[in-house]
Amino acid sequence: MTKSHPITIEVVRNAVVAYADEMANVLAKSAYNMMIYEVRDYCCGLLDAKGRMISQNRGGLPIFLADLGPAVEDGIQRYGLDGFKPGDIVVMNHAGVCGQHLNNVVIYAPCFHQGELVGFAANRAHWVDIGGMRQGFGSSATTEIYGEGLQLRSLKIYEEGKRNETLWQILRDNIRYPDASLGDLRAQVAACQMGAQRYAELLSRYGRETVEDCIAVVWDQAEAAARRVVETIPDGEYEAESFLDNDGRNLNVRLRIKVKVIVKGSTMIVDFSEMHKQVASPLNSGRSGGIAAARVAFKALTSPDLDVDEGCFRPLEVILPEGTMLSAKPPAALGLWSIALPTVVDTILKALAPAIPDRVPAAHKGDMGGCSFFGFREDDGSRFLLLNIFGGGWGGRPQEDGESASVSICQGDVRNTPIELQEIKYPFLIEEHALRPDSGGAGRYRGGLGVVMAYRCLQKCKVNINLERITDPPWGLHGGREGAFNLAIITRSNGSETMVNKETEIELQAGDKVTFLTAGGGGYGDPSERNAQDIERDLAEGFISPSGAAAYSGGRG
Amino acid sequence: MNLVGVDIGGTFTDLVGCIDGRIVTSKASTVPADPTQGVADTIDLAKVDSASLSEVLHGSTVAINTVLERKGARTALVTTKGFRDVYAIGRGNRIEAFNLFFHRPKPLVARDLTFEVPERINPRGEVLISLDQAAVEELAVTLRKRRVEAVAVCLLHAYANPEHERRIGEMLRQAMPDVFVTLSHEILREYREYERTSTTTLNAYVGPRVEAYLRRLETYLRAERFDGKIQIMRSNGGVMSITLAQEQPVSMMESGPVAGMIGAGRLAADLGLERCIGFDMGGTTAKTSLITNGAPAIEEGYVIGGQASGQPMQLPVVDIVEIGAGGGSIAWVDANGGIHVGPQSAGADPGPACYGKGQVDPVVTDANLVLGRINPRRFLNGKMPLDVAAARCAIQERIADPLHLSVADAALGIIRIADSAMSLAVRAVSVNKGVDPRDTALIAFGGGGPLHSGAIAREIFIPRVVVPKLPGTFSALGMLMASWRQDFVRTLIGKLGSLDTPPVEAVFGELTRAGEDQIARDGIAKKAADFAFYANLRYVGQEHTIPIPVSSPKWLTGDLGPLRKLFHTEHAKRYSQSAPDESMEIVSLRLVVTAAREDNLAERWLNEPWRAEGGIEESAREVIFDDPDRPLKTRILWRPSLPAGITIDGPAIIEEPNATTLIHPGDAASVTAAGHLDITIGQEVHS
Repeated sequence: MTKSHPITIEVVRNAVVAYADEMANVLAKSAYNMMIYEVRDYCCGLLDAKGRMISQNRGGLPIFLADLGPAVEDGIQRYGLDGFKPGDIVVMNHAGVCGQHLNNVVIYAPCFHQGELVGFAANRAHWVDIGGMRQGFGSSATTEIYGEGLQLRSLKIYEEGKRNETLWQILRDNIRYPDASLGDLRAQVAACQMGAQRYAELLSRYGRETVEDCIAVVWDQAEAAARRVVETIPDGEYEAESFLDNDGRNLNVRLRIKVKVIVKGSTMIVDFSEMHKQVASPLNSGRSGGIAAARVAFKALTSPDLDVDEGCFRPLEVILPEGTMLSAKPPAALGLWSIALPTVVDTILKALAPAIPDRVPAAHKGDMGGCSFFGFREDDGSRFLLLNIFGGGWGGRPQEDGESASVSICQGDVRNTPIELQEIKYPFLIEEHALRPDSGGAGRYRGGLGVVMAYRCLQKCKVNINLERITDPPWGLHGGREGAFNLAIITRSNGSETMVNKETEIELQAGDKVTFLTAGGGGYGDPSERNAQDIERDLAEGFISPSGAAAYSGGRG
Repeated sequence: MNLVGVDIGGTFTDLVGCIDGRIVTSKASTVPADPTQGVADTIDLAKVDSASLSEVLHGSTVAINTVLERKGARTALVTTKGFRDVYAIGRGNRIEAFNLFFHRPKPLVARDLTFEVPERINPRGEVLISLDQAAVEELAVTLRKRRVEAVAVCLLHAYANPEHERRIGEMLRQAMPDVFVTLSHEILREYREYERTSTTTLNAYVGPRVEAYLRRLETYLRAERFDGKIQIMRSNGGVMSITLAQEQPVSMMESGPVAGMIGAGRLAADLGLERCIGFDMGGTTAKTSLITNGAPAIEEGYVIGGQASGQPMQLPVVDIVEIGAGGGSIAWVDANGGIHVGPQSAGADPGPACYGKGQVDPVVTDANLVLGRINPRRFLNGKMPLDVAAARCAIQERIADPLHLSVADAALGIIRIADSAMSLAVRAVSVNKGVDPRDTALIAFGGGGPLHSGAIAREIFIPRVVVPKLPGTFSALGMLMASWRQDFVRTLIGKLGSLDTPPVEAVFGELTRAGEDQIARDGIAKKAADFAFYANLRYVGQEHTIPIPVSSPKWLTGDLGPLRKLFHTEHAKRYSQSAPDESMEIVSLRLVVTAAREDNLAERWLNEPWRAEGGIEESAREVIFDDPDRPLKTRILWRPSLPAGITIDGPAIIEEPNATTLIHPGDAASVTAAGHLDITIGQEVHS
């Protein structure tokens, strides 16, 4: 039984999240790269002295789910709890520990109260470059982590407030956009210092014991809320599988995503034992990838409206043997670490669909959907890298159509980049940004639509294309049809067209056009049961074409 | 100088005026079908001679209700060819990251009313494809055929070169003079096509309804021989002319709630409250805002109708949280036996059951009446006797009987649920931002604010509640304190140190002319207006900017030392770090033109020493506080009769013409020198 006053618990519950949000605000507002300020590819949070997650910012990336812990624990092991001093700042992206691509750099600061280490303020942000042979997203070029850039394992970039100039110089000399990335580093450091200071103020105000007691209560409540929902799922073993097209280097082998979900009382086990083995391409993640996918599915099913903390995943157990594509052993390449995750999440949901048909929508677009163009500006010779994220269709739902043009289940408050901003900063003319008619899977409730985005190059540059789920498009449920799959078309200035699925560093000339068409969501329920008025409205608004309406033939009046 | 402020809420229309040095007030029912009628009624009730007024200030929820109820004009959207779906696609983001059943913002314009025109301009404002005027002519025919009432035009990069938008505007306005046309560059001169499209579309969508409403208001006032200025309260906390409001109705979205918070800010500053929470409960909704150093925060835009699936509006707006709980909110029982309050409201007509106009569902006011908290003979200054039996009957039939409760028990349940919902809103602006309510005070106003503020304060441990003078019409009073304000912005991109003087001077000149034109149109003397320029600056490579005040073009083209220093300092203040070695760039230049009120009548009155009328008027009645079976014998005091310095211990009720303040057992209210009620919440505060 807790000693703390209910209102203090409420203050602490909300304050620790508000501090994480404040950290995110500092980071996003003073960042130098669009992956942070527009795409919001970051997370910020507070951890206790054992590396457990006290709070995480709202919004940001869902797959960064309570996974700052392992990064911080590695530093605790290395330095010991008494090895941190006020003013220390640690940098960390080691593949073996973090299990993500090396661009995701963790920065953290210790937090002290009355001379004692009481926790850490930490964040992870996507640096635009970390060295190595890859540029931007989507390269399939690497087979080992060593080609993917610098690994920094729990290194103090500041010691008691003093910058480690050697490390700083190594960073500056080995990455492509040192000003941007070191600017982001500065923003990350400031965010951590602010978070640590806020948390220390909270402890001074209420006392360490009270605050930690409140946090324990909050975790227990989060756990109880999740357990209550798991209890409503019928006990049983549920299985599903799906496929990725290939690993990007060996184009002949599909990658099987096999999951088993076991529900027993208030506990859920996600078993990845039969997951495809790790591959000789960057399409791997470390354990954190598999765990993140299971957690996203679990959170979406149990407590989507509650904040993320250490408590909400206690009822979830993940079985993940070493050496799968979601638990790759070093020195596996991890450049495309997140590509499989939306499909893994959807496959977990698919497994549970027969048990809880009214709580699981049909499959969504299922990829991370982005583009990356790079080169040197012809006017001043400077290097550029254009990154953008596209939405796609979400699956039809038990009571309504799926949403269109939305980012994946693994991307939350991730935004596309305004066309006007892209054209201000980069040598492209965007010729079309539109919904993709007929891309939503037919069903009683139709899948949402993908989008079309067309880039005309104003000068020579390169592009990486890495499409997925062409051989296993977003599936329908309960009789619904699958959604349209991803397409990328390169139209050369002479008018010739090529379709590309996966290719790294394609050369483009001024006048060439690259058009991306993103996937639609699967349909839910038999299309012949779709309401005739809904079909009429879809036709009037152009969400389906007259030929697309054929999928509904037999529809009742 | 005589002036009045009139605030139209969902249930009541309030008036506060300064007439020949006196404060006058009145309150009348809002007439949803013809809101002007409510204005007329308050003017009559206050016995104000319209011909004697030099100014009428006005706030109204007409614009935002049009959006929330989706009752706007049949609107078409015109875009650059290839970009028809920019508005439907939005930013693709999902705020509710783990919600499998999220909803995107629902466009206000259907896809089959969105049209493309061949044209293209690049970010430098250069024309790549000329406007196809024949296509625009054809479009005008189509739009007429489709019977649209409003058109929003938002072309790519129109912020950099508005020529094509201007031409389309001329052609459409000429071809369809009765259609409300909005061009994006007239509303917002900043890049980010989705947010600009959404803001432009909102303006067009609410335009015809707001324009017609304001026209009726003006016609009425002129017919009453009023020949002064009509000023409209806007979301940025300032006021604007009625003419501008008819062109830019989108800037009056928060017109209703804002004025009260401006007033609360002034009061907080006068009382020396560094941090407090404004709480305004009317008939339909409750609004709350965190006030720091005398002013509510101003955000650079917000999302109307909720962050996750609402409509983005990219103009400056006072930061307010609003929920559907007011005196008129209907209480109901769901299938599982749970009691709910709102968001449906009985409004002014039929109003609560106790109005006796046939309302059968009980509302919050009915519950307050049954509990003895409201005096049936003093409602609306005694002009509307309330029917206690009707209130009891509604509560009995709809709540008490289905749940096998006593009427008193059911009434108390309704109040507790409403209090708890409002506490959540107050929490959202304090606790959720990491502000401990124990360090704040609540400034309570609106017809229901002083009645419920004690329970809310108690629930989330706010130790102090201030009920200002004239709480029931405080929003209208707040209007009399607001400055005229208009914000302008122009894109101006370049590195500091390499900006040429002529283009910088040109942008300053353009903004200055825009500001001067506007004050001239609004009849404001140039010497009364303050022109404040801000350069939106950042380090090269960053995206977000910080506005830094600049007084002349020289700040950007001459010695850059002072500007750099200010920026580094502000960057360090906001983000705890700066980079003095890095180069900086400007993205846009802003101009904020304000004109403070020449008179200061309302604020002066707010601080004037309080003079009680006659001896203390006191009576007693039984009131239910916490136990439905044990009403407490409670002192009932008439506020106008209470002298400064007196302290009243709860349980007590302080009545005044348009509000009732409830003092719970354990709390104590004292009357300040200026006549405000300063209430200490007497609950033990735990840590």
